[in-house]
This record gives sequence, structure tokens and C-alpha cells, in this order.
Amino acid sequence: MKKGLTFTSILLLVSAIALLAGCGQSPKETESAQTEPANSQVQTELIYASAKDINDMNPHLYPGSMPAQGMVYESLVENTVDGIKPLLAESWDISEDGKTYTFHLRQDVKFHDGEPFNAEAVKQNIDAVQANAEKHAWIKLSTKITSVKVIDEHTVELRLSEAYYPALVELSMTRPYVFISPKDFKDGGTKDGVSGFNGTGPYKLTGHKIDENATFEANEAYWGGAPEIKKITSKVLPAGETTFLALQKGEINFVFTDDRGADSIDIKAMNQLAESGDYQIVRSEPMNTAMIVANSSKMDSPVQDQAVREAVWYGIDRESISNDIFDGTQTVADSLFSSNVNYADVDLKKRNYDPETAKQLLENSGWTLANGEAVRTKNGKSLAMNLYYDSNSSSQKTQAEFIQNSLKGIGMQVEIVGEESTSIANRRSTGEYDLLFNQTWGLAYDPQSTISAFTSDASYKHTTSGLPQAEELYKKIEEVMVSTNEETRKALYADIMKIVHDEAVFIPLTNGRVTVVAPQSLDGISFKQTQYELPFEQMNFK
Amino acid sequence: MGSYIVRRILLAIPLLIIISFITFVLINLSPLDPAVVVLQAQDVPQITDELIAQTNEALGFDKPFMIQYINWMIAVLQFDFGHSYVSGETVWSMVGPAFLNTLKLTLVSSIFIIVFSILLGVICAMREGKVIDKSVRGISFFLTAMPSYWLAAIMIWYFSVKLDLLPTSGMDSYKSYILPVIVITVSYTGIYFRTVRSSMLSNLNEDYVLYGRASGLSEKKVTLHILRNSLQVAVSIFCMAIPIVLGSTVVIENVFAWPGLGRLSVRSILSRDFPIIQAYVLILAVTFVLFNTLSDIINAAMNPRLRKDI
Repeated sequence: MKKGLTFTSILLLVSAIALLAGCGQSPKETESAQTEPANSQVQTELIYASAKDINDMNPHLYPGSMPAQGMVYESLVENTVDGIKPLLAESWDISEDGKTYTFHLRQDVKFHDGEPFNAEAVKQNIDAVQANAEKHAWIKLSTKITSVKVIDEHTVELRLSEAYYPALVELSMTRPYVFISPKDFKDGGTKDGVSGFNGTGPYKLTGHKIDENATFEANEAYWGGAPEIKKITSKVLPAGETTFLALQKGEINFVFTDDRGADSIDIKAMNQLAESGDYQIVRSEPMNTAMIVANSSKMDSPVQDQAVREAVWYGIDRESISNDIFDGTQTVADSLFSSNVNYADVDLKKRNYDPETAKQLLENSGWTLANGEAVRTKNGKSLAMNLYYDSNSSSQKTQAEFIQNSLKGIGMQVEIVGEESTSIANRRSTGEYDLLFNQTWGLAYDPQSTISAFTSDASYKHTTSGLPQAEELYKKIEEVMVSTNEETRKALYADIMKIVHDEAVFIPLTNGRVTVVAPQSLDGISFKQTQYELPFEQMNFK
Repeated sequence: MGSYIVRRILLAIPLLIIISFITFVLINLSPLDPAVVVLQAQDVPQITDELIAQTNEALGFDKPFMIQYINWMIAVLQFDFGHSYVSGETVWSMVGPAFLNTLKLTLVSSIFIIVFSILLGVICAMREGKVIDKSVRGISFFLTAMPSYWLAAIMIWYFSVKLDLLPTSGMDSYKSYILPVIVITVSYTGIYFRTVRSSMLSNLNEDYVLYGRASGLSEKKVTLHILRNSLQVAVSIFCMAIPIVLGSTVVIENVFAWPGLGRLSVRSILSRDFPIIQAYVLILAVTFVLFNTLSDIINAAMNPRLRKDI
């Protein structure tokens, strides 16, 4: 018995020491210990990490993962840097009154299940989307379509109730105007679910284990030519440490910014991977604007005071955020939209980092700093606010801390609160916030989608409704969406942007980009006009 | 004994009904309009009043509360927990496999926890105050105090990345079990072996030990006697260890991307996927009640005096 006991205790001690020794390794050893990345053996396969499951892939509803839907389904037209380009429609005509769109479809397209893609399929799909119009209220086109008519096998006509200039842009989006084989319809539609996920895209969904992984295989019969990457796996992994370790080990070999604009691993970890020589980091053009949204309609909060909002703007050193927090990977944003967004090339007052001006503004508005106090007051009320950030985003937390500290310098007390993204969305829609982090919809959707959201209860209604010019603003937004004249539209957009800029309700921070971490040997990494999907079909290994 | 088991099981039923009611009420206490919750969970970009009304009607949220509860209860008794707000799949098709995955992890870990707890408890009790006792307690104190996600990260880095022996995450083969099981075992053994140890120690001073030794029984036989008596106390604790581990795998499942109940529940809570949260709470409650009942029955079987209690 004694012998046995001694043996067990030695075993325990040894294992404990081994464990402790593991903790004490220096970073240098970590690097040298790295294993070969997976791409050295697997030359045609990408395995990417995703924080969430692909979910329901029905393209006419919203729970599904956008990057996954983007691989499987296609739209009639495509939004590119050079404007709208053909995709499933080879060409189109627009009637003079702007109400009738006639699409001439490609003739060599088949759904993954072998069904032909033709005018009838287009009609059935658009009708299926329209049958669930309430869910698509955000996309204004859904309220304008009156009928879809099959002209012949490969020609289809779309009638609108009135001219609507962003029609083609909205038809190009990842959802809902994309096409699924009518054989997958349930009860003649898609709103109550579908029986399969056969699109026309470059990849077919071939496997899905809920919360584990999903596999996509190249569509060898793809009309645009079979893609070179033959297999793509989406693996559900929690963001952060596990993802980083899995990349180091080569169990996954690809990560990219998620659909909420959050990087799954932090910049230091990315740089460490790139330094190892196995990985490259590729970044897109600016896609969106990361910003702080101020609640102008919250009556008991100092944030309803325009001077306070402007002071916040002047009080944040965005150069430091760009350089120190983002390592220069995100550029400073001076207004709600970067100038590469349509209609956003507007002359707006620039507010650089200037704490003195900020203090002056507050002083003039009656927010004074009593002797020996750290926080300004006005009529006995202190200048205190809450700033909410996404607790899953490491960069937002750092920014929030930085901003809290900067604003302290001008006599503002900012409490920072980290919450889940759904909870933040909820605050935005109920108006339970002073300040919160947010981002614009992004290139393909802007300016129209973010601006439409100004009037929506679920989005920015609380942000904008406290402005003295709110009614005027909403009227202009309504007008711009139906205007057919390019010049009028430009003028209206300029007015809208000027109002929210002068009132400082959207305080821009940086222009966000899509970031991809991929094997060094992967070629052809490019981006679409949206932050939500990637053109995997154009990638190949050297 | 038979009648005791029947009585004990019957007693569990009203408890389950109360739990089910509380589960339903708590979730319905949320200040949000349930239709808004559903629509947010489905990531619908813009929620309009018409859409809210339509959703309320479609999901029966416009009915009186008690009717909603009764409808839900009737469905649940037929294992129909409804559909997930997010994926549209039936709750059972999502919770079932996740529960099994967590159960596998829990059972394997529980076996290790029980074996190591007894082993270490006995060793420490027999060598009370000696170097082995002190060092085992010291190390276990250190390991129990260490946050399990941190321990997990170190283990993944060392065994998966550096030594390339095991997968970092997922549930692909038996190898996937090794790291999570070690982390869970380490976290709980430290707690449970103390119980065995102190139970052994208190038995050591009992009269029967003195009598046994005095009548010339071998030390081995005396130890076995002590162990058997000590384990009676430990049985109920070990019985409850299984549901406790089952309910606390959340962190481990998240770090190791284990497709289990813990991860599903976190995801559902974040997206307010109420049907899944309800099923999760109910399953966990049932497991607790079940194991509690089981431990009472085992104890009653070992100690007839307890049978008279109900």
C-alpha cells in the first residue's frame, strides 16, 4: 500500500510540474514551436472560423450567415466599384418613366439541383419574397414592386409602383432578392421555410452539423467556371484565444471580420501570425464608418444638448485611435460617410481633436466646472453619461476606455458599459442609452440604408428625433428615396448629411475595413462592395 | 424499499410542475414585447408595427398568459418545445443532440472526478498532516483556484499547438475528449476529494475503528471499513456532482467549441431564443430533481433508517 501511495503522489507532482512548466514558456519558444500550417498539405481547401453557425440558409429570411449565403446564392445584378454589373441578368432595360425594368437572363445557368434558372424561377422567387413583404420593410424596393411578368423563357419584367432609383442596388444585395430552386419551395413559397438550399452560386452547401461546421463544395457546373478552391469549411469557434490557437496549429487557415465588424482575433495576434511567414493579412478599402451614436431625444440626459455632442466630437483624438488602437489599419473618419460612398462627397465642417474648443463649447452652453471638481454641472445636474460598447469586440473596449479618459479631461464623466451586440441593438431601438458604439451599413447599402434607418424606430429614430429639425429631416429623407432627378437627389442627400453633421448626433471614429487573415500562398483575395461576404470563387493557391 | 421509491418519485412530480411554471413565468417577465424578441432573434433588419402584430398572432402571444402556459405545458409533455426563433428548427432537434454531447462529456468527467476524489481523499486521510497530504491539498487548492478557461487555454497551447498531440477544439474523435475532461476533472476533483478526506478522518475516530484495531483486524481491512462508511456520505454528493457538472460546462464548451448544451444555452440567451432557453432550464431542473431523487434512493438502500422519513 505504501509503495502504491508513493507512486501516485510522484505521478501527481510530476504532472503538476509539467503543467507549471508549460505556463512558463517564453514567447520566442512559442514561435519556434509552431507547426506547419494546414495549407502545406491541403492545397484546395479553406477552413474558416466563424463565431456563429450558418443557421437557416433560406435566402429570403435573415437568420442565415451572410458570407455563407453569398457563396450559394446569386442576384440578378452585381454591385462593383464601377457600378452595377450583370450577374444572372446579362442586360436590362429601364422604361422612360423609371417604373418598368426588363431583365434579359443568362441562358446557361442551372440551380445546384439541376433545375434550369429561367424567367419563371425569377418570378416565383420574387413573388415568394413579396409574399412576406413585412419582413423586408427595410429594403424599400419591396414596397415598390407591383408585379413580375414572364415575357419569355429568358426575359422577365419587373413593374414598380413608382420610379425608385436604388432599385438595381437593392436587387444586388446578398438578400432577399436572390434565387433558390423553386423545387425547394414549401407550399409554393419560402416564408415558412424551404426543403433544400439549392442556389446558382459557385458553391453548394454539402454538409451542416449545427454549431460544429458547414461544408461547401465547388459547383463544377458553375456558369462562371468552376472555382479553384474546391472545398470551404465554416467551423464554429469562439472568437479570440481558441481561434488564434487553431490558426497557429493549422486546424483553420482563414479568418475574416464578422458581420458586426468585429475582428475575431486582435491585431497583435494577427501580426504575430503574419510575422511567422505562414499567413498574410489583407484589408479592403474603407467599407463603413465606426461611430458613436448620441441619443438626441433622451430628455433627462446631457446628450440632448448639441454643445455636449459637439464637445464629445472635439474631445476624442481619432488620430490616436487609428494609430495606437488599430495600428494604422483603420483610417480616421471625419463624417458619417467616407467620401467613396455615393453622394457623400459633401463639404462638411471638419472637427479635429481640440479639447480647448470642446471646453469652450461646454462653457458657453452653461456647463461649468466648479473649483476643485472634476465634473462639470449645469443647473445642479452633472455632465455624466453612459457609453455602451459590444463586449465581444476587443477593439471597442479599448476605444471606450480611451474615450472615457479623454472626455474626463474636458470635465465629462462617462461610464462605459460592455454588453452583447443584441442588447446594444435593443437599447438603440428602445432609446435606453446616452451614447453607444455603432457602424454604418457599408458601401453597397449606403447612403440610402443608413439614412432610411434614421426614421426607423428599431434603428436611429431615437438618435434623430430630438433634433429641432427632425420633421424637416424626415421629409427630406422621404423625398430623396423617390426622387428620380439626380441633381435633386444630390442636393437632398447633402442637406440630410449636413443636418446630422452639424447636430453631431453621429460622431465618427474610424473607417472600418474588412480584414482577412489567409495562408501566405493564397492568391486572388479580393472584396465585394459589402462587408458581409467575400468572393471565394476568385481565390486560388499559388 | 419498493414503496419508498414510488413515494420518492411521486414527490418529485409537483416539484417539476412548479419548476416548469417558474421557468415560463420568468421568461415572460421580460419587459420586451415577445414578438420584437423573435424578430430581433431572426435578425430582421427593420421591425415595423405591422410585423409585430403579425408575429404576435402567428405565435399565439396575443392569447392570455395562462392559456399560453397550458398550451406550452401540453406540448412539452409530448416533448414538443416548439421551434427556435433563430433557426426555425424544432427545439428538440437542437437541444437533443447538444444534451447528448454534454452528457457524454459530463459522464466521462464524472467518472474521473469520482475515481480521483476517492483516491486522493483516501491517500490524504491516511497520511493526514504528512507531506503528501499537504502537497496534494496545496496543488489542488492552486488548481481549483485557477480559472478553468485559463487552464484550458494553457492546455490547448501546450498539448495541441506546441506538442501537436491533440485537436484544439471541436468534437471529432476520442482525442477531443482528453483536454476538456482533464480541465473539468481538475476543477472538481479539488473540491470533492476534500469531502472524502474529511469524511474518512471523522470515521477514523469512531469507536468501531478502535474496536477493529483492538480485535486485531489488519490495517487493510480497517481502512476498507472506514472507506465504506465514508462513501455513504459521499454518494449523495457524487450524485449531485453529475447535474452540477452538466450545468456548468458552459465555459469549457465555449473554450473548446464543444457542441453541447452549455454553448447552445449561451448562444440562445444572447439572441433571446426563448424556446431553447426554456427547454434548457427545464432539462437542467429535471436532471437535478432526478439525481437528487436517485441519491435519496441510494442512501435509503444503504441505510434503512432513512426510509421512514417520507
